[in-house]
Amino acid sequence: MTHAVPALSAEQTATLTDTAIRAIPPAFPLAATVAVNPFLGQTDKTLPETAALLSRVAGCAATAPRSWFAARIARGEITAEDVAAALAGGEASLSVTDVLAAVGQVRPVPSPLPTVSALEGQALAEARIGAWASGYFDQGQALWAAQSEEGAYANWRRYAIHDLQPEFAGVPGIRASFAALPETSEDALIWALAQLEIPAEAASLFAHRLLMSLGGWAQAARYRLWQAELAGETDTSLAELLAIRAAWEAVLLAHKPALLPAWRSALASYSAPQTPSWDDLIDGILQEAAERAVQRRLAGAFCPAAPRGSAARPVLQAAFCIDVRSEVMRRALESQSPEVETLGFAGFFGLTVAHTPAGMCGAEARLPVLLSPGLESRAEGDHGAARIAGRARRAWGRFRQAAVSSFAFVEATGPLYAGKLVRETLGLGHDVVSSAKPVLDPPLPLEAQVEAAATILGAMSLRENFAQVVLIAGHGAHVANNAHASALQCGACGGYGGDVNARLLAGVLNQAEVREGLAAKGIVVPVDTVFVAALHDTAQDSISLFLDDLDEVQHAGAAKVLTQVASWCAAAGSLARAERAVSLPGAASEAEVAKRALDWAETRPEWGLAGCKAFVVAPRDKTAMAQLDGRVFLHSYDWRQDEGFGVLELILTAPVVVTSWISLQYYGSVVAPEVFGSGTKQVHNVTGGMGVLDGATGALRVGLSQQSVHDGTEFVHEPLRLSVVVDAPVAAISEILGRHPTVQALFDNGWLKLLRLGEAGTIADRYVGGLTWEPFAQVHKPALAAR
Amino acid sequence: MLLSLTALLVPLVLAALGLALLLRPDMLRSHIRRVAATAAGLALAVTLGTALIGLPGGGVARLDLVSAVMLPLVAGLGWVVLSFSSVSLRDEPEGVPFMGWIALALASVMIIVLAANVVVLWLAWLGLAGCVYRLFLTYPDRPMARAAARKYLLSAGIATLALGLALTGFATGYGTLSIVEITTAAEAGAAPATLGWSLAALVLAAVTASALFPLSGWLTEAMEAPTPFSALLHAGIVNAGGVLLLIFADLLVLAPGSLAVLALIGGGSALIGALVMLTQPAIKTALAWSTVSQMGFLMLQIGLALFPLALLHIVAHALYKAHALLNSGTAVTAVTEARGAGPVALPDAKVVARAFALALAIYGLGVVLFGALDKAPQALALGVILILGIAYLIAQGMAGGAPKALAMRLAGFSAAATAAYLALQAAAQALAVSHLPAPPAATAATWAVIALALVSFTLVAVAQTLLPRWSDHSKARALRVHLSNGLYATAILDRVLRRSAA
Repeated sequence: MTHAVPALSAEQTATLTDTAIRAIPPAFPLAATVAVNPFLGQTDKTLPETAALLSRVAGCAATAPRSWFAARIARGEITAEDVAAALAGGEASLSVTDVLAAVGQVRPVPSPLPTVSALEGQALAEARIGAWASGYFDQGQALWAAQSEEGAYANWRRYAIHDLQPEFAGVPGIRASFAALPETSEDALIWALAQLEIPAEAASLFAHRLLMSLGGWAQAARYRLWQAELAGETDTSLAELLAIRAAWEAVLLAHKPALLPAWRSALASYSAPQTPSWDDLIDGILQEAAERAVQRRLAGAFCPAAPRGSAARPVLQAAFCIDVRSEVMRRALESQSPEVETLGFAGFFGLTVAHTPAGMCGAEARLPVLLSPGLESRAEGDHGAARIAGRARRAWGRFRQAAVSSFAFVEATGPLYAGKLVRETLGLGHDVVSSAKPVLDPPLPLEAQVEAAATILGAMSLRENFAQVVLIAGHGAHVANNAHASALQCGACGGYGGDVNARLLAGVLNQAEVREGLAAKGIVVPVDTVFVAALHDTAQDSISLFLDDLDEVQHAGAAKVLTQVASWCAAAGSLARAERAVSLPGAASEAEVAKRALDWAETRPEWGLAGCKAFVVAPRDKTAMAQLDGRVFLHSYDWRQDEGFGVLELILTAPVVVTSWISLQYYGSVVAPEVFGSGTKQVHNVTGGMGVLDGATGALRVGLSQQSVHDGTEFVHEPLRLSVVVDAPVAAISEILGRHPTVQALFDNGWLKLLRLGEAGTIADRYVGGLTWEPFAQVHKPALAAR
Repeated sequence: MLLSLTALLVPLVLAALGLALLLRPDMLRSHIRRVAATAAGLALAVTLGTALIGLPGGGVARLDLVSAVMLPLVAGLGWVVLSFSSVSLRDEPEGVPFMGWIALALASVMIIVLAANVVVLWLAWLGLAGCVYRLFLTYPDRPMARAAARKYLLSAGIATLALGLALTGFATGYGTLSIVEITTAAEAGAAPATLGWSLAALVLAAVTASALFPLSGWLTEAMEAPTPFSALLHAGIVNAGGVLLLIFADLLVLAPGSLAVLALIGGGSALIGALVMLTQPAIKTALAWSTVSQMGFLMLQIGLALFPLALLHIVAHALYKAHALLNSGTAVTAVTEARGAGPVALPDAKVVARAFALALAIYGLGVVLFGALDKAPQALALGVILILGIAYLIAQGMAGGAPKALAMRLAGFSAAATAAYLALQAAAQALAVSHLPAPPAATAATWAVIALALVSFTLVAVAQTLLPRWSDHSKARALRVHLSNGLYATAILDRVLRRSAA
């Protein structure tokens, strides 16, 4: 092969590798998965720029189809004024007429940049790398496991030199070429890029394209880097995956010289400028207009009404996660009595805890994935018996799975499965067992507990007027037979339930010594106040209280009010279920909501966070009169109590970022389901205990399934970027954004929308980027011709 | 007569449900569960009836031990699978036709089970193939689904033609279309000239219908259609070959050669399927290879003429596999819990030797104590194979790193598993004693098959108990690559089918 292009230096290659790797979002394993922004590597780009990039590297769209916008325009939900306002945001080359005319047209289907594997026609590289990767990333499904101690590249090479499948697919002799590859992944990448004649300026785009062709496997490898960097280390899995994929390209081209002319002409397309197309710009405007329309309706939720309740001491203050699903329950609970107040706070309640359940080796990171654990806890009591039971269960499982012994297993126990089948079919036998009380281990010194308690209460804007009962309600979801169960748990708790964090916090706040320390810091908790941990089960919409965690004295002292609280919670659950039954398929009544959640055949046990569209950071009384349909994140925040705006800074840099990940995961799974969604659950095939394949083979599929965002007839999630509404002074918000360029980029590039509540309690200002604001109700007359 | 008529009602109910779902989709949707439960209830009543008043023999439906066992099994699985589908596919546009074809497939299996004459049997067999082909193409836009359907068409085509040939041979040889008359004549020892080639055709039909290696690609790619289809395929439809052989068991024992062939093909598939299964990281794929392996084991049992045990195996495997597939969403939790239990205590060679010796000694002692020495050598050999499996469990408990409490518990598990299968096998034998033929006297071929099976199963059992102590060896790694690709049987078949299509 001729070398029109000189080989790249090791340094150049390292840089382009790093650029390509950081364009890939991490995918968390399903054991504890959290929502990830699929555009994480593109937050420095606008939506049209991202659309231009993704159409090249993945062949997918970055916005909903035109028909989605057309339907909303036809229904009058999106108006010409919204389009005009969106255009006024900076796109001068288009007119309202252009945009409205384009709505009726079908957007051209993007085709990704060619690869050798695609030109060859069988996607052989992707298929074979996927077959290897499913073994390499296996977390323990296969009894005869692939060796995974060595690096990805070395491991893959030892696989590829034996794999006969490509030979049967028409590439004889390819194993010898794999055997002849350079020893290290770095050298292999340099060699492959030179063989492929990739010009230096196109190399990182090519690398991005190759990584996208591997689907979820690239994201699973990116997760390893993410975790390593969180711990201050590094990981080369994804860089090695890139070398593997590039080596495949070069080797395949060498074996298929007939492809060379097609490949050379394809190369030019990698060097072409990546400017957004006219259609990309149109879609960007339509998206912006749709969000303006939603914001107009959202503005109606903020009534300049009198603050709810009185200044008198409430009987119950219930703190829930900011999760959109809490909104329905909070509204239901508040409706029980004027003596009930609710708060919203990130559901890990400020405790970054690594928790060890009974009998388990290794801890669960029950904290936001942006953070590292700072505390350790374990289930109270003796773990020995649980550990033996767990190991015996595993040995039995291996007996079931192993060759030869599987025959004995089937002959001995097969008939017992008749009972299991009948039980599951009749919906019996899914008892939800309460787990043991968690304890901090090693215990936290008293001063540290006081410090943590003061910080957390301050961050919750809960420093005075404590109720008799303060409920700390984490959330989780009990579902059955669901590979994606962890996606329904608390995102702030790393894909686990929030019960452990809630119980730990309640335990800290109930100690008399801690309360003395808090009083010294000016936070006076009345003696008769009891902190009670609870779990809000979002699949069944029920609240269970951990009353057994309280010591007897406390329990007895508050017995009467606790009974009252329990009955409020039960009634609120019933109301919330009735509200949700309407939108849940197959739930004709409130009573069926709980039953269907544990049905082993149910693919839509709940809607999760589908529908999320806004995040309100304000005192609850600003939204208390509104019915927000479980579509809004609510964070309690009172800027008047926030000296120096430290709490606001925390909110804007942590919960806001997490909610952007959630909203954009839903967005991505709707607009580009083939790339950022995981397909239909009907054919999901759990692989390695960590992800799903789409059917018999293929790449790992990440993101939300079709059943999570679609009801069989239409999308239940509207693909909107999240509107963040903050009740704080303009200057404070701008200053914080200025200090955090990555957060500012999210707003400046439109991945999040920022609005501000004014003194009157209504939306007053809109952030327009570059730390500047405009009045929210700015009127944009639709100018029909281009300016 | 009443029982036979009631039995026939079961497939008719499901056929009506299937047709209604396909023709009048909105009408029956909410009643799917109830109709399926009614069919299962009827089937159960028929079986209880036969238990009370005995098997009626001939009639419109063939009610014998095999059909009395299979009918409630298939109807029960039908109720489970249709109930599951009515929830899991409730909102999907493909849901109603899917359930319609499932119901028709169930009806076809039941008619195969109940058919009184060879023409009905063959027509039901053909109908089943049609329904299953449609179900493979639930998502016709999926290229892999089409590839799997193509492979199914090939296997089902061979099986249907071979069955047609076999049944023609039986009908002409015995001069009757009635299955009961054919098997009664065979039981009396009648072996017409056509028997040789018709039994060969029957074996071919059974083997291809059972997804044995290497024609197993359609089964191992069946997860291209919704999960309940896989459950029905693995638990019900794939058993059709085994059922066929049990129906004609009286003919099979007249030709020991056909039994030896079955044992060899089955034993090979049992081992290859199990080894491939060990390497599969995806749950449904692993379960599919497990079925290939279990179907091979079933054929081995039939080849050893252990018909009552084969019937037990069909029932036990169907129930287990239906549950395992429908429940495959729990694979994430299962793997996470297994990891959470910490490092596995691995037995070394000494421990493995002790565990196998112990298991075999207990088995030998049991055979002597219970006076089972006079049992057929085929049955004793099968017992050894099963005890090799138990040895795996014992070895895990005896491993150096295993705490005593764990060892005790695993010893308990081993004892319970051994007792359970001995009891189940005794029950199956007792139930079948006058209905299914006993194994013929062992010939040289039988002994050869037994020896081969014992040696190969022992090797595999010992080798996997010692995993991962040898798996880092470069030859072992190469073998693992080949096994994880299913020894390329599917790749080769796909290539052949593509070529012939082009």
